[in-house]
Amino acid sequence: MPDNLEIIKRRLGRLGLGVQREREIARELADHIDDHAAELQANEVRPEDAVDEPLDGVSDWTALRSEIIAAETEEESMNQRTRVFWLPAFCTFLLSALLLAGLQIAGYQPRIYWVAEGLFIPFYLPWLLTLPVIGAIGAFWSQRAGGTTWHRVLVSFAPWTIWMVMLLLIGAISLPFVLFFNRQVPNISGVIFVMKGLLALVVTWWLLPGFSLLVGATPFLVRRQHAQA
Amino acid sequence: MSGIDPKIKRGSGELAILALLDQEPSHGYEISKRIAKLSGGTLQFNLASLYPLLYRMEKRGWVKGQWEEAPNGRQRRYYHLTSKGRKQLAPLRAEWNLFFQALHRIAGVSHAG
Repeated sequence: MPDNLEIIKRRLGRLGLGVQREREIARELADHIDDHAAELQANEVRPEDAVDEPLDGVSDWTALRSEIIAAETEEESMNQRTRVFWLPAFCTFLLSALLLAGLQIAGYQPRIYWVAEGLFIPFYLPWLLTLPVIGAIGAFWSQRAGGTTWHRVLVSFAPWTIWMVMLLLIGAISLPFVLFFNRQVPNISGVIFVMKGLLALVVTWWLLPGFSLLVGATPFLVRRQHAQA
Repeated sequence: MSGIDPKIKRGSGELAILALLDQEPSHGYEISKRIAKLSGGTLQFNLASLYPLLYRMEKRGWVKGQWEEAPNGRQRRYYHLTSKGRKQLAPLRAEWNLFFQALHRIAGVSHAG
C-alpha cells in the first residue's frame, strides 16, 4: 500500500494556507483515498488497480489545488474588503471626528457663513485644512492594503456619508415629535425651513469634509493610475 | 451519470450535503458514498469535486469539521451541520423546488418533490 499522504502532499504542493491546515487537508484527502482503495479491494478489484483508481480519479491536480485555495480563501476575500475599505474609512472618520471634538473642547469658534431662521453653516477652517492629511492617511492605508482607486475615493467620502445619513435619520425620527410638542402643523414655510436645514447639513457634514479628505487622497489616486498605466 | 454540469452539481451538492448532515455528522468519504447511494448514482462526488465544496461550506460557517474517532478506531474528520447551515437548508430546498417547477413548466421536466 503506497503512502497516500505523501503522494497527496507532493501532488498538491504548498497551498499557502499555513502548515497545520495544509497537513489537515492532505490527511483528510489521503483518508478518502485509503477508504476508496480499501472498498475497491473488498470488491475484489486487483490490489494495484485499487490503489491507482482513486488517485487517477483526480484528472487535474493543479485544478484541485486551485479550487481548494479558492474555497479556503473565500472568507478572506471578505476580510480583504475590510482591509482596503472599512478599516481605513473607520480610521479616517475617527481621526477627523476626534480632531473636530478637540477643536470644540478647546473652545474654537467656527465662522458662521450662512444664517437663516436659526440655521447656519459652521465653518471650522483649521479642521477643514487638516482633513487632507487625514484623507491622505486613509488613502495611503487603503492603497497599501491593495485597494482600488474607487476604494480610496470611498474611504474619503463614506465616513461622512454614513455620519450624514445618521444625522438625517435622527432628524427624520425626531421631526414628528418636535412638531407635536411645539403644536405645529406642517406647512409650506415649514417644509422650506426643513429643506434649508438639510442643505446646511449636507454642506457642513458631507460636502466640506468629504472634499477636504478627497484633496488629501488625490495624490494617491494619481500615483496608482500611473502605476497601473 | 457523469454529464451533469459542474455548476449545477455544485449547487445541488450544497443542498445534498446540508440535508445529509442534518440527519447525522459524516466524514467526507461517507458523504460521497451516501450521496451516490441515495441519488441512485446520478450524483457522484469524487475527491476533486467534494472537498473544495466542503471547505467552501465550512468557510461560510454552514458546516464544521472536527477530528473524531470513527467506528473502526481511526481518526476521521467529521462534518457537523451548524445552526447557520441549518438555516440555509430550508431556503435552498425552496430554491431548488422553484427551479424544478420552472423547468417543468418550460421543458416538461418532472421531479419527485
